[in-house]
Amino acid sequence: MTTDTARFTPHLGAEAGDWIALLKPRVISLVVFTGAVGLFIAPGHINPMLGAIAIFCIALGAGAAGAINMWYDADIDALMRRTTSRPIPAGKIEASGVLGYGIVLSIVSVMLLGMAANLCAAAVLALSIFYYAVIYTMWLKRRTPQNIVIGGGAGAFPAVIGWTAVTGHIGLLPMLLFAIVFFWTPPHFWSLSLYAATAYEKAGVPMLPVVKGARHTRLNVLVYALLLLPISISPWLLGLTGRIYGITALVMSAVFAVLCWGVFADAQDAAGVSLTKDRPARRAFKFSLLYLFVLFAACAVDRLV
Amino acid sequence: MMAQDHLERVPSRDDIDRMPRTELGEAKWTDEQRAEFMRRRRGRNWLLLAALAGFSMMIYGIALVKLHEYGQMW
Repeated sequence: MTTDTARFTPHLGAEAGDWIALLKPRVISLVVFTGAVGLFIAPGHINPMLGAIAIFCIALGAGAAGAINMWYDADIDALMRRTTSRPIPAGKIEASGVLGYGIVLSIVSVMLLGMAANLCAAAVLALSIFYYAVIYTMWLKRRTPQNIVIGGGAGAFPAVIGWTAVTGHIGLLPMLLFAIVFFWTPPHFWSLSLYAATAYEKAGVPMLPVVKGARHTRLNVLVYALLLLPISISPWLLGLTGRIYGITALVMSAVFAVLCWGVFADAQDAAGVSLTKDRPARRAFKFSLLYLFVLFAACAVDRLV
Repeated sequence: MMAQDHLERVPSRDDIDRMPRTELGEAKWTDEQRAEFMRRRRGRNWLLLAALAGFSMMIYGIALVKLHEYGQMW
């Protein structure tokens, strides 16, 4: 009887906000910021309106890739507390509709960027959507514990797209910014996964702490933070940015490396499980968010002065 | 009154196609549910309208700027 009543409960349809939630608005804010910095530091001129449309297209493309990701990952999203309230696992929107939505928005964003900026920028945007939706989400995420290393590339594209929208070609500086985000992603994400590993284990996603253990993950966090240091200051060393960026990058990367050393040296049991409730990992994760924001802001300020 | 008539008569094929359904057949709507359904649908329609209007405005804006600044679209 209860079942029949439940089955007869009318489906009220999704709220407009649910369709927006599919685009992962919080991720988009970072994408918009790095894309805008890429556009701002590029040599040359772009009409402000076309620049604004280009940034919108970068955001829309990232959102579209996020929607395709939600469509594909609906099964594991339903298993993790952090993601159960997403529109598909919550039963607010049908999965097949989300796939169409993601594909249409992808096409629209690439087409609009091609019109507003140039074909090179549109091609890089298309590549970034393909990279995130297919290479990361469908291919690597569930297959290898190195998923996040390769997936980091997806988040690194916006700065390159912003630059390309102005110049029409890919330069050395945006490639270095790409490398910074690429090498920043593993210590950022693995710091988080150290204290959220149970959720990934439950969902069967082979995150590094799940597959190789916490001790191995701590070492990797430190290694990538140390690799990030020379890469982050390389734009300054190569004369592509000024002192403001250089000193900021040096200080921020050094602090990040010290925090990651804290993650590595955290009091732990034989299996590498933290005895301090992963306090150093939480600190490193929070700082990593600030790190990227400050580094890119310094890059933009450097261009201003 | 018309809505009541619609519920009392045997629904035509056309009606069934238009109405939201559950797994086992037509939903039995309370007034609150119907009002909530309408509110949500209106919200989605406004979002779609805003998206289409924004898209058109952007195409128009791009065309204006490009033709004005560069004399050509491509």
